[in-house]
Parts: sequence; C-alpha cells; structure tokens
Amino acid sequence: MLSKKWSVLVAALLVGTTLLTACGGAPQVVTVEVTKVVAGETVVEVVTATPPPPPKEMRPNVLHLNFGPGDVPTIDPALSTDTSSVQVVDDITVGLTRLNEVSLLLEPGMAESWTVSDDGLTYTFKVRQGIPWVRWNGSAVEEVLDCEGNVRYVTANDFEYGIKRTGNPGTASDYAYVLGFAIKGFNELNGAAGWSDLTDEEKQALVDGVAVKALDASTLEVTFTTPAVYNLNIIGLWVAHAQPKWIIEGDDCTEARGDRWTEPGFNQSYGPFVLKEWIHDSSLTVVKNTLWPGIESSPVPQIDEIQWSMLDASPAFAEYEAGNLDSTGVPIADIDRVKADPVLSQELTIAPSGCTYYYGFNTSKPPMDNVHMRRALSHALDRQGLVDNVTKGGQEPAQWFCRPGMAGCPTMESHPDAGIKSDAEAAKAELKAYMDDMGFTSVDQIPEIVLMYNTSEGHKRIAEAIAEMWKETLGIQVTVTNQEWKVYLVTLQEDSPQVWRLGWCLDYPDANNWTREVMAIGGHEETATQWRNETFTALLEQAAVEADPVTRQDMYAQAETILCYEDAAIIPIYWYTMVNVTKPYVNRTYSQHGHESHEKWSLNLELE
Amino acid sequence: MGRYVIRRLLWMLLVLFVISLITFAMEHAVPGGPFDREKKLPAEIIANLEERYHLDEPYWKQYALYLYDVLVPRITTEKPLSMMDETMVNIKLGGKYYLRWMNFGPSYSSRSRTVNDIIREQLPVSLQLGLLSMAVALAIGLPMGILAALKQNTIWDYLGMGVAIFGVSVPVVAMGPVLVWIFGVALKWLPPTGWGARPPYLFFFVPRDLFTWNFWRYALMPAFAVGTGFSAIIARLTRASLLQVIHEDYIRTARAKGLSERVVTTRHALRNALIPVVTILGPMFAAVLTGLFVVEQVFGIPGLGRYFITSITNRDYPVIMGTILLYAIFLVIANVLVDITYAWLDPRIRYE
Repeated sequence: MLSKKWSVLVAALLVGTTLLTACGGAPQVVTVEVTKVVAGETVVEVVTATPPPPPKEMRPNVLHLNFGPGDVPTIDPALSTDTSSVQVVDDITVGLTRLNEVSLLLEPGMAESWTVSDDGLTYTFKVRQGIPWVRWNGSAVEEVLDCEGNVRYVTANDFEYGIKRTGNPGTASDYAYVLGFAIKGFNELNGAAGWSDLTDEEKQALVDGVAVKALDASTLEVTFTTPAVYNLNIIGLWVAHAQPKWIIEGDDCTEARGDRWTEPGFNQSYGPFVLKEWIHDSSLTVVKNTLWPGIESSPVPQIDEIQWSMLDASPAFAEYEAGNLDSTGVPIADIDRVKADPVLSQELTIAPSGCTYYYGFNTSKPPMDNVHMRRALSHALDRQGLVDNVTKGGQEPAQWFCRPGMAGCPTMESHPDAGIKSDAEAAKAELKAYMDDMGFTSVDQIPEIVLMYNTSEGHKRIAEAIAEMWKETLGIQVTVTNQEWKVYLVTLQEDSPQVWRLGWCLDYPDANNWTREVMAIGGHEETATQWRNETFTALLEQAAVEADPVTRQDMYAQAETILCYEDAAIIPIYWYTMVNVTKPYVNRTYSQHGHESHEKWSLNLELE
Repeated sequence: MGRYVIRRLLWMLLVLFVISLITFAMEHAVPGGPFDREKKLPAEIIANLEERYHLDEPYWKQYALYLYDVLVPRITTEKPLSMMDETMVNIKLGGKYYLRWMNFGPSYSSRSRTVNDIIREQLPVSLQLGLLSMAVALAIGLPMGILAALKQNTIWDYLGMGVAIFGVSVPVVAMGPVLVWIFGVALKWLPPTGWGARPPYLFFFVPRDLFTWNFWRYALMPAFAVGTGFSAIIARLTRASLLQVIHEDYIRTARAKGLSERVVTTRHALRNALIPVVTILGPMFAAVLTGLFVVEQVFGIPGLGRYFITSITNRDYPVIMGTILLYAIFLVIANVLVDITYAWLDPRIRYE
C-alpha cells in the first residue's frame, strides 16, 4: 500500500503529465484517478479536468496608414492647409460643429446645442463641459493641469482664442480667409494693412472687433456677416478649433513654446486621439485618448493607435502588399493589375472624392473670346473615353463644376441635363457657328491655341489625349505645353494661356465654396478666366442665403449651366474618385469631405 | 602638409561665398515665390509673411542679413524666429540673452522647424546611406576589378566586367523597386521601406544601433541598389589601372628580387593602381549624396535628398541655400581628403 505522501505525488504526476499532453493539441477533457487519504481511509476519486484553451493569436490594435511623400508641414490648426495636416488636426481636436463624413450632414461637435437670433446672424453656442486638455507624457495620456493644480477643461474661451489667433495677421495663416467669409469683424483683423506698424492698442481693438465672444466658460456667441446656410459649416472648420493659449503664449507656470507648441512633447489637444510621436519625414503616431468621453458625432475610438508613414504612392503600395500597411491608394500604373487580381480586386474600393478636374479659358484671348469656340471644345471632349482609357480610376465625367454631394450642388439624379455634355455633333455645329461668325473657311485660319498644364506625368497624358480628341473631332491642332507649378501659378495670374488646367478641392462641402469662391466675380480664378458675369454672381449671392434646399439646388444648377454651357467659361472634365485598397480586417467608412473619421473605424483583431 | 590643408580650407570658404552669391541670385531670379498658392492669399497676409521673413527688404540687405546670421556669433536679446531650444545654435544664456551663431534660417514650409533642425535630423541619414553605398561599391568593385586584372582574359575577367556593365546600366529607379518586390513583398525577408536609425546620433551621424540587425535590415537594399552602379565604375577603373601598373618595369624588378606574387601585388602594384580610383572617390561621394533623392523616395528613407528638390519647388530660400552650401562643403572636403590620400599613396606627391 502506498503511503499518503507517495500517493498524492503519483496522483499529481499523473494529472500533470496528462495535462501537459493536452497543451500541444486541442483542449480535451481528461479523466484521472486520484488516490487520496481522507480521514485515515484511502479513497479513489475520479477527477475530470479541462485544461484552459490556448490564447488565440491577435493582431495588435494598431492601424497603419500612409500620408503621401513629404513631411506633414504642420499640425497647428491655425496654419494647416494640406490634407495630411488637416487630417491630424481633425483627429486630435474637434470643432464646434462636425460634419458626418458619410452623409455630409451637420452634427453638433463641441457645441452641444445652439440658438439663433431673429435676424439669423447671431448664434449662441453651448460648449460642452468636462472635456479635458490632454497630452502624451511619454507613457500614457494625462490631463493638463493649470497653475493651481486643477485640470484644464475645454472652454468657450479656448475657441475664442483659437479663432482670433487664426485671424491675427501675426500668425500669418494661409486659411484664415475662409472664416472671413462668415464671421463679422474677421476680415478687418485678418486683412489689416501695415499690421506691424500699429500700436498695441490698435491691434487689440482689431482683435476685439472680431464678433466672437466667450460669455462664460460654456457659452460662445458668434455673429456672422450674412444669414448664409453654410455658416455652421464654416464655424466647425479646423481653423476654428480650440487652441491652448497657455502653451503657445505661456503663463505663470508654463513656458511659452510659440511655433514649437505642435512638436511632440509640447503638443496639447482634447479630441479622440493624442499625438504620441512625430519623426519628421518618417512617421507620425497618434494614440487613443483614454480621457475622451465620446460624443455622438465623435465616439470613443476603437483603435488604440494609428501610425502614418510618409511614403510615395508606389513604395506605399509595396508595403501594402507586404502586409505592413492597412489601407492605401492604388498608383495609376497598378490599377489594371489590381482589378484583375482575385485577392486585391476584393479589397479595392472606388469612392467619390471632393475635387473637380477642369480646363479653364482665358476668355479675353482669341479665339477663346468667342463662346461658340469655347463650347465646341467643351462638347468635343469625350469625357467617358478619357476616364475609361486614360485615368482609369472610375472617375465620373463632369457636366458642371461643383462636385455632386456638396450641399446645394446639383446631382446627376436631380439635374441630369444641367451644365454641358460631351457631344461630337454639337461640337461640330458650334465650330461651324464660330467659323461663320469670323468669316473663316478653313480651320487653319483659327488663331493658335495653347493648352498649358502644370508639369506632371498624369496631367501630360490627359492633355495629350484631349488634344488628340480635338484634332479628331474638330480638326484643330492645339499646342500643348507645361510649366513648373509655382511658375505656372504666376503665369495664370499674370497672363494665362487660352486653355489652362486646374483642379479644385473642397474647403467645406458646400456649393458656395465651389461656384462662388472660385468662379464668381472676386473669386480665385477671375483673373485667369477674365470672365465676369454679373447675373451669375448675383444668382450665387442669392443662393448663399436661400434656406429651402430644393430651391437652392435649382439656383446652383442654373448657375452651373451659365458657367459651363451658356458662357462656357470652363470645361468641366471629371469629378475625382479615390481608388483605395483596404485590408479585409479593417472596418471603415469612406469620407466624402476629405478627411476620415478614424474614431469610427475598428479592426478585427483575430488572425485568421 | 598642415599648411597645405589650411590653405585648401581657406579656399573652401571663398568657394562657398561665391556659391552662396550665385545661388541667392538664381533663387530670386526664378519666377514664383514661397507664398504663391493655388488659392491666392490675401495681399495683406502675403505682406505680413514677407515682413516676417525679411523678404520685403532690398536684395543686398537680405543677403547681408543671411550672412550675418550664419557667420557672426553674437549675444542677442532678439527672440529666435520660433522658440528654438536647440543646444547648438541659439544657446540660452539666462535672462533674455541668447548666444546665436551658424543660424541658417527658418523653413518657410514648416513653421516649427528651422534649417538647422532639418539638417541635424535628416543629413545623418543621407550620410549613413551614402557611406554605406560607397562601402558596398568598394567592397564589390575593388575585388572584382583586381580579380579581373590579375586573371585577365579568363572567365573571371569576362564575368566580372559583365556584371559591371549590368550594374552601371540598370538605374536605381529600376533596381530599387525590383529589389523591394523580391525581398520585401514576395519573400518578406526585408522591410520594403523605412530606415532603422533615429535621432539622436553619436558624433553627429553615427546611428546608435549600428551593430544591430534592426539597422541593417533597412539599410541593405538601398545601399545595395545605389552601390552596385558605382561598384561597376570602380571595378572597371581598378582593372584598367592595375593592368597598366602590372606591366611596369618596377613590378618586374620586384619579381626579379624574389618577392612573392602576393607581396608584389599588394605592396607595389595595388598602391599605384589605386591612385586613379581614389581620385574619383571624392566626386563619387558627392555624386552619391546628391543622387540619393530617388533612392530615398523609392525606399521611403527620411534623408536630405528630398529637401534638395522640394525646397526649390517650394521656393523655400533658406533651405535651398542650406542644402546647396552643405553639398558644396562636402564636395570640397571630399576633394581635400582625396588629395591627402593621394600623398599617402604616392610618396612622389608632396604638397608644401
């Protein structure tokens, strides 16, 4: 008979070895006979043991994305102009209002509600309380404390400071002018001539003249210049996000960091993500803000960390194929291969993107001073053929300038005949009308037409294809030429060629940002087109304040028809799409307004 | 020899001055400015920006201000353009005083970085890649050339020169993506893009993890892609030079003296044969550095090459000056080093 010690030992060994065998394979239920001595008597018990299942291998909850080549220029909300800067600013801070990235509907952001005065000009925003300023301290997200040791929360004063700092000429913000369209007193500050010669009192007076006032910590009063429909859009833009005064200008317990406040280690923010690391020209990393309470338009993020690299399109695609990037754009050269590949074609998505590609006319230079000639060239451009054979990215042939999907813009469903269409017969008829006007008998008598674009392989292929189309349909040979970007910009402003190429991307998703800010009198391209139509401009000014969406859309459709058909001041070519591949384990949305809402994305963490 | 080096370095200062003058003239002659945007900035904002960066002053004054900032160390209460706490350039001396020198100016494209920041963080990466590429070029090219010369008209010769032709014909633009495809995407042995070293660096450019696999796994493909092209040049030159030297009289004398073939080759033949090779190393290093832009783009390496090009498209004047002067310094120093090595290799050459 075994002694008690021995029996327990043997039993333990038996159980142990049986359990060990279970480690290698699938968990099994094991039964073991255990001999125990209980109350002086030897007892044999049967014990069943189920070893715990081995842990499933999970992928890290980290999203790997790519910005594109070159460093992110800045993440200061007042100074951000390009898409990567704005993307980071939108991830780490939230505006008063927020745009739903899919529906493009306005949602409350840091302002949980607002009231409007009777004249529709003064809005009183109720700013959410209890959302702390945070920073990454090297190992975790922590709250920022003020000089008494209390937590700093986001207040209406931070928004007032942010807007006024953006408008301050000393900040020299590229994008401040957008706020000038809406906020009263803003242009007087932003456009103040001779700023550095003013006295401090004069400067302060201009700053105080901006109609943005924090009545208390939770109330912000903003007065707009017109009761425009897009005011709430503009006040939510990144240039009007809250900015932390104490770290930029310093206070009793904080050293002023000035322009360096955006560097990692100094940066402070309050939104769903926090800046963790920024290795210039290499990568930028944000982590989930564990102290973000989540609001309806911007919930608590489900992803722990987002890491952006800064690679060119082709190396980025190689990284995607190697499994190191989770989503990236497809280089044009690879589109055909991706569409044909069984795996990649499943991961491919072509989604609308907020830009329009167009050719403009200098309507003061012959033969572009004749509307029939302009219309002929516009009709003769085979947009669908261009998209199918040259650009290949599923772009949409454009009949007008404003991109469908923007508030107020006509769509192909609502206004299928607005603007202008590709039509070879109509083109020839227009050409004949032109020749009759001028008394020409042969196309050789038409003055030389120069088509210019900014140097790029993509634009070159499109320009050459279009020149070929014009030759085939109309018999006109245009001279195709190109200039380096900055030189090109100067040329457009000083002496634009007969036909020039540009694109326009949205600042905020409203038709006003397109048709009026670009094409109307006083718009960006007035000098390049030399086209000034008072009826057109007046119509747009009316449309800006029209409250009924259907009427508003009709007005913009009418305006577009003037722009693209009646006066044919530009040739709309196509509306951009983004051609993306995304790994199947990423659950994502596709933003219509230019930057993604990463707090709504998630990853399937289990490895297949 | 010492006086010679000092004289050369003084010449370098003159060369740099002339280069900076020419660069300044050219960058302002080219149409377009740093603040031209597609969405035109309001005129007052442009005026503000130009005032901030002294671009509204007459040209001679701008140039003088630039030289003053770079060359003259001084104690100033003038706050730096952005709150820099660099340890080397704007040293805080307590109170409101800063010791300021070697200040190459701000970057117009990036508000929070200055030219010194950019050079300090990105130049070491380009240097590391450049030196590694040179090492690869020498490691492949020298033995190949020597072998081809010693075994002239055998299979080694033809094979070696064939590989050399291949290396010099296939540009980095083609070899880079092919390497990325094979080793990065298909086999997944090496990471397709990126660089393993991060600031801060030792002795200005030596990576802290030089002896770890993490550094080498990123550096192998780019160094190889750049190095093979240059190794071809070195191989052919070494072969031709060695062939010429081997047929000289003094080599025959050395053999007649009874020296072993190995000693003849290494002690006598090679030292003379390498002179032409060393001559091209200087300009070759400069060529490697300036040509890194393409490699850095293909492999996503955060080096200085990209700034060399984008600063011009952005009309970022301080960065343009900074990068051009930097490359000029490297070229001159490389040539001085080449001349010194010359003297060591060939005792007949002496400088006073």
